[in-house]
Amino acid sequence: MRFKLRNTFARCALAFGFAPAVFTSSLQADWPQFRGPNAGSVSLDSKLPTKFGGESNANVAWQTKLPGRSVGGAIVIGDQVITTSSSGMDQRRLHLISVNDKDGSIRWQQEFVARGRTNCHPTSAIAAPTPVSDGKYVYAFYSSNDLACVDLDGNLVWYRSLSTDFPKAGNDVGMSSSPIVVDGVCIVQVECQGDSFAAGLSCQDGRILWRTDRPKQSNWASPVAIKLPGGEQVVVMQSSQDLLAVSPKTGKTVWTMDVKCSSIPSAMAAESRLFVPAAGLTVFDLSSAGAVPSKLWDNNKLAANACSPLVVGKRVYTISRTVLASADLFSGELKWQARLPDAKSIWSSPVVAGNNLYIFTEDGKCLVVNLGDEKGEVVETNDLGESVLGSPAISGNALYVRGVSSLWKIAEK
Amino acid sequence: MFAVQSIHSSIAKLKQTALALSIGLGMGVTLQAESSPELIKQLQSLKSNDASNQIATDTIKQLNAANDVTLIQSLTAMKGATPVGRNWLMGLANSLYRKSGKSQTAELNKFLSDATQDGEARYTVFKWLTASNAELRKTLLDGMKQDPSPELRYLAISEAVQAKPDTKELLSLLDSARHAEQVVSIIGVLKEKGTVVDQVKQFGFLTEWKLIGPFDNVGTVNFDKVFPVEADWINGKVKDEYESKLVADGKNVNAKWINESAKSEDGTIDIAALYSNEKGCIVYAATEFDSEKEQDAELRLGCINGNKTWLNGKLVMSNEVYHTDMKIDQYTEPVRLKAGKNQILVKISQNEQKEQWAQRFAFQLRVSDSTGKAILAKGK
Repeated sequence: MRFKLRNTFARCALAFGFAPAVFTSSLQADWPQFRGPNAGSVSLDSKLPTKFGGESNANVAWQTKLPGRSVGGAIVIGDQVITTSSSGMDQRRLHLISVNDKDGSIRWQQEFVARGRTNCHPTSAIAAPTPVSDGKYVYAFYSSNDLACVDLDGNLVWYRSLSTDFPKAGNDVGMSSSPIVVDGVCIVQVECQGDSFAAGLSCQDGRILWRTDRPKQSNWASPVAIKLPGGEQVVVMQSSQDLLAVSPKTGKTVWTMDVKCSSIPSAMAAESRLFVPAAGLTVFDLSSAGAVPSKLWDNNKLAANACSPLVVGKRVYTISRTVLASADLFSGELKWQARLPDAKSIWSSPVVAGNNLYIFTEDGKCLVVNLGDEKGEVVETNDLGESVLGSPAISGNALYVRGVSSLWKIAEK
Repeated sequence: MFAVQSIHSSIAKLKQTALALSIGLGMGVTLQAESSPELIKQLQSLKSNDASNQIATDTIKQLNAANDVTLIQSLTAMKGATPVGRNWLMGLANSLYRKSGKSQTAELNKFLSDATQDGEARYTVFKWLTASNAELRKTLLDGMKQDPSPELRYLAISEAVQAKPDTKELLSLLDSARHAEQVVSIIGVLKEKGTVVDQVKQFGFLTEWKLIGPFDNVGTVNFDKVFPVEADWINGKVKDEYESKLVADGKNVNAKWINESAKSEDGTIDIAALYSNEKGCIVYAATEFDSEKEQDAELRLGCINGNKTWLNGKLVMSNEVYHTDMKIDQYTEPVRLKAGKNQILVKISQNEQKEQWAQRFAFQLRVSDSTGKAILAKGK
């Protein structure tokens, strides 16, 4: 019973050839990738505490100190919370760590040595991308373009040094695009001024099934899988020069558009719409199978500098520095804006549980914002006392926060 | 008794063969059953390509399932393995350590004390052995300030510096340190204590340069263009003047060689200051390095702009990257110096980004051995 009940859906999904992108967020669901199921960042049925941390350490189920540092998020697979770290001289040591959900103890660790560049901005880390899992294997990608696949017991399945294959891949600010898994293919977006590319690797053995050149510009955005009306899944990638969809198995272009997208926040899909951080926020219609999506609306008041947009109900939310905006997802009409007090710098894409938005700041605060029709109200400001740059995960009634140097489980005590 | 053992051994081999065949069939690859030592050898020589990955994936499956491969075998195999192969072996070693490592303390201690073993493997073993033993960690690190493993040496020196040593000990640590940031840090601590170290000499920065430019790079399209001065320099015959780009005042002037000495302690040549912050241009910088003997060395470049470097007419580095970072030893390349004068040319390419953080136009270069210790020119 390694997977336990809450992973049953993932196993069924694998058996029938579905990918994590078709998971629906539910109370017991895994959180298998950056921004969770469907990259939606939402777990509506979860009940999380609004007050936690601080001097009383309220509602902190456990905190586990981990080696080195990380600015990526954690994922949850069954009863394992899985995260990456980079440590040691030049952060060359690349860790992949599984923590027991029950008590925060370390279940297994894998470790590799970076074979690509390990320069990065002091606030970042070589462990920057969030790992991804298909419920059977875990795929860990690092700023150094090292990519490792392990099973759920931490045994190495395969390893690939993409910087050995493509020596000019990388940038000295640090790479952070998170991989995704679709239809048995692990997709990475490695966009930089040198060897700039996206690639699909076989989940079975790490073979490069396809590789496509990408604009030679630094880009930190992550690819996202979306399902077209006909059932076909495609991978959407954005850059400062284009927006395109490719087939996950072949890398062939399904459609491409001349859209200048942001290079940090990532796109997401909901309600047959594609929400792209471009010209503020630009929304495309995904209701026609195979066709180039037509633009529905854009709104430059919905710009996002770092956090990816998310959709709850009939609203889309974006954060521009310290301002949270809520707009009608059908018309783009701005409904309200809320200034976020005590939020100096936000890099972590927020998540929603119930009707509350959880926003983590670089200095370790968590602002809990109640999302109303007419306004957003900060109902609590919590302090973990540790810098948080990765996006949190939600599973059941627990919030998993990857701080720079430790992993936290937040749940009602 | 022997007959029974032989039967057991045969059964074990049959099982291994069946496993290998089943894996092979599952992967669509024909495999021959091989012993664990032979499989480990396959991991040692791995390269990063599709064919290697298919073989390695099958191999690691067999090794993860095998009962006869030992932790020490996997660690020992890291010596002489390719960088990619070392990571596969480390993945195997981590699994084996989880299974049985804690019962092998004596063997691991012996492995760690053997400085001829692979440095990455030894650092991994060090972390296992000292994870919950602070006293052992301190004792071991005390003797590792000159360890051949860069990671162990770095850690040993870091811990020693944090222990607030006196000036004599700091100078000794400086002599042992190889990591650029660590060297700068120790020099800083020494300065606070009133001892000034010549940082330029410590690193071996090349400080005397001849520069020529600016040449046209509007649109950042001429990084690979061979300007006449570049062709002439490679052929060993340069002129005093070359036609330059149109500069800000619209005049087309001839570019002439100018002499420039690095003035800062990090050996930086500030090209922006020399060429009035010209954008969309290329400048060449030339120097020579008088080597005591023919020897292996590394050219270590720091540059915030696109750059190419030639040694004795041969291109050794090329990085078309703009405004991501500049640090000591940012780009390193092993080279072979000839005895006597070696000619070095650096091409520095500036783009036209307007952001305030994208205005620097600068580089620094030094010559070192493979560990990062400065190789000084004859007479320096």
